[in-house]
Amino acid sequence: MKITIDNKKIKIDKPATVLDVAAQNDIYIPSLCAHPELVPYGGCRLCIVEIEGRRGYPTACTTHVEDGMVVRTDTKILKEMRTELTQLILSEHPSACMMCDDVEGCSVFQGTIRKVGITTGCRWCPKDKDCEFQRIVESLGIHDLTLPGLYRDIPIEKYDPFFDRDYNLCIYCGRCVRICNEYRKSSVLSLKQRGKFTTIGPAFEATHIDANCEFCGACVSVCPTGAMSEKSRKWWGVPEKYEASTCPLCSLNCDIQVLTLKDKIVGTLPPGVPHEAGGELCVKGRFCLSELVNRTTRILEPQFKYKEGYGFVSWEVANEKAVEIVKEVKPGRSAMLLSPSLNLEEIHFAKQFAEKALHTELISSSCINENLLAYMEMASHSVSLNDLKKAGCLLSIFLDGNYKYAPVTMLIKDLASKVIPYCQIGWTKDTTTRFATHFYVPKSGDVEGFLDKILFNLKKEKAKTKQPIITETLAETKNSAMIIGPEIMSLTNCISILDKLKQVAKQSHSMIYMPNPYGNLDGLLALVDVVPFDEIRKKIDKKEIDLLYLVGDSAFKKNPGVMKIIYQNAFPAPEDLQPDLILPTALWGESNGRYLNTDKKIKKSYSVGDRHGYSLPHRQVFLDLAKSLKVKLPKFSAKDLRKEFQLKLKPVPEKIKVPAPSKNYPFSLVQENAQHVYSSLNLSTGIEGFGDLVKADHILLHPSDARKQGFNNEEWAILGSSKTEKKFRVLIRKNIPKGIVLLTSSNGQLEFESNPCPVKIRRDHV
Amino acid sequence: MSSIETIVNKYPGSHRENLIPLLQEIQEKEGFLSETAVVEVGRHLNIPTSKIFGVATFYNQFRFEPVGKYHVQVCRGTACHVLGSATVLEEIEKALKVKAGQTTRDGLFSIEVVACIGACGLAPVISINGEFYAKVTGPSIHEIISEYRNKENKQ
Repeated sequence: MKITIDNKKIKIDKPATVLDVAAQNDIYIPSLCAHPELVPYGGCRLCIVEIEGRRGYPTACTTHVEDGMVVRTDTKILKEMRTELTQLILSEHPSACMMCDDVEGCSVFQGTIRKVGITTGCRWCPKDKDCEFQRIVESLGIHDLTLPGLYRDIPIEKYDPFFDRDYNLCIYCGRCVRICNEYRKSSVLSLKQRGKFTTIGPAFEATHIDANCEFCGACVSVCPTGAMSEKSRKWWGVPEKYEASTCPLCSLNCDIQVLTLKDKIVGTLPPGVPHEAGGELCVKGRFCLSELVNRTTRILEPQFKYKEGYGFVSWEVANEKAVEIVKEVKPGRSAMLLSPSLNLEEIHFAKQFAEKALHTELISSSCINENLLAYMEMASHSVSLNDLKKAGCLLSIFLDGNYKYAPVTMLIKDLASKVIPYCQIGWTKDTTTRFATHFYVPKSGDVEGFLDKILFNLKKEKAKTKQPIITETLAETKNSAMIIGPEIMSLTNCISILDKLKQVAKQSHSMIYMPNPYGNLDGLLALVDVVPFDEIRKKIDKKEIDLLYLVGDSAFKKNPGVMKIIYQNAFPAPEDLQPDLILPTALWGESNGRYLNTDKKIKKSYSVGDRHGYSLPHRQVFLDLAKSLKVKLPKFSAKDLRKEFQLKLKPVPEKIKVPAPSKNYPFSLVQENAQHVYSSLNLSTGIEGFGDLVKADHILLHPSDARKQGFNNEEWAILGSSKTEKKFRVLIRKNIPKGIVLLTSSNGQLEFESNPCPVKIRRDHV
Repeated sequence: MSSIETIVNKYPGSHRENLIPLLQEIQEKEGFLSETAVVEVGRHLNIPTSKIFGVATFYNQFRFEPVGKYHVQVCRGTACHVLGSATVLEEIEKALKVKAGQTTRDGLFSIEVVACIGACGLAPVISINGEFYAKVTGPSIHEIISEYRNKENKQ
């Protein structure tokens, strides 16, 4: 096919729209609603063109190219019409700055009186100089309004975490609604009402949290105006650099791009053109990373505990003190705890340091227990995310993935919307539930029985028992896939449940995919022969350990009874831990590093931002200490990574009986461990916005369950099982199924005797 | 089986074109579209709740709250508009302290905006439970409303 655009002859081999072809050939056609990932919409009408032989002015985004087409994009009449259209949009878009005489000097001298809180013009809009609409207005040379202006006076929505919405600036291009529905398939946003009353938002005026929004930020990225803006970098201005890196917040290690301004990390986006970046990330990768790095409570200088108290010291003194402490301790009487979010180099040098300088093999992490090892053992047979795309049917088990594993949930939604059967077992209605042909909520005492039933049906020739749907889908489709979520690790009898899942997978010839919430746990296990954390705790209790070296991990709330503690981290230690030496370290984004992800691929992250205070990368700290101790640490090479790692698994422990809900204890309590931890910082308590989403130490209830008991949000409730009674605040969430109570505890420990556990709820009358 | 399920099951298969007839039938039976009804319809037709809400709010005929004991229909047709029905609607909203499409907290009054009720000669016109009030003005609205309120108080 040959077409002509603006006298330029262009050859085309595959069907495309006029707008696409023009963009590929560097011909600029202004447009506001078009987006490469979305179906053409033709809403803004700015991309109108002239085509010879066609009546009127068709929009380039909805017109497909035909052989011999002659297109003109930049005639006088087109420019006039575009100006007229832009004027129409401008009449409802706050644009006071456009016609102000002081527009140039204002951003420098701030000489103009203005009302803060309400955006009345470009200079006081969060997207100033980074706005697509502003660029179009400037390119058309508009400096005055020809139509009377109207301020819609819609209240600014600030009640949801991570992004604010000011729909007074909205131009109704529909990009946010379309990316939410078509690309991310979350379907939270919709255009409501009609005509001049049109608004954008979730159904029934619900908050985004209630509407099951995943906070992927796709709507914020694609908004061509300042209607949507990130809370954390709203007033920081236009980022200077966009650099590729890797997210360290879970085992998927997604590709991201890091936005920096004057070498400060201000935000993160999925890879691609910033304004077109869709929602490939979860809320952690999209919004939490920059907040983590820029936390004001970070340790900035080395500190040493003198008799009189803590004192700031230089790195030389800190090194001397560390050498003193290390030399004091006898070989084998020290233990090292590593954070599973350290990168491969850091883990390597930590291990080498432990072996060569501390002469110990007691390396662990506070997260490592029998359940986790069993989980990781099974996860070593996990397929890659790409293999999952070939799945013929999907079963997700305890994935509960609204705020995590976005590539997995997106894949599920994508496949399930293409008529691939998808079944879900879990305790929250997450973003994938809408696509599930079958959603099963196991009650307390039901988890193993349910798996037994599936197994029993699978072994039989023809399934004819009560729960045939999951069995049928697993047995009758080729390439079935099971996606198992790490929430399973906190369940009672986890090891035997995993064992049953293994059998189900074997019987149905399913692939398995098992992500975990730790950035580099796979790397840690591939590099280090870890011992379970309990063993170290036992040794400490037996007074067999004198030095505890904590690297990005704060396993204890207070000193467990060791002589010395060296605390090497970016975030401060718990108040009562009282370490003898505190060494500040750099975080992700401040040093280069590599991660091993669930797909067993090595992903690189780069140093893009300035280090805070006097912090040093972990690697540098170990090298400096080794130098002072006159020990040589070998360099890291990827060959050190074991392809297959042996995990010392104990035989299946004795089973605990989990009771079923009864008349006295009608609810099933499900306890989730706070697994969103990065370098000892719990995201639920450390980041305000994330804490709103995954609320720690609250019990989550279905509205009708809450109504029966007369509960409102944030009211105290007493949760009682047959053995324990505890007090929590109530939170009403629509995505919790009836009869389920969900509890996320911030200390990572189970609060009740079993998980799930039958409980009753009553009001606290005090 | 709830009444919503019975209605939904009348339309087998998830065909999108059934959406509006389904919503109309539910509204006829229930008087309004509740959140549970919309979610149920969404599940049946495999359409997201937000989309259904978007469609339903596009049309004036759907309401999301039960109608009040006295249903006030305000005509916003051409003839009424010319004779100031915008002010009439504003006054009614002021008098009842709710917006068009909503129901007062005590469940007594609800307001609906209709395009034309076919009484252009009486413009601006409102109808309360089928009873027409012709050539209404700002002050007369308050009189009419208080009349109904008094009636209710006496009972």
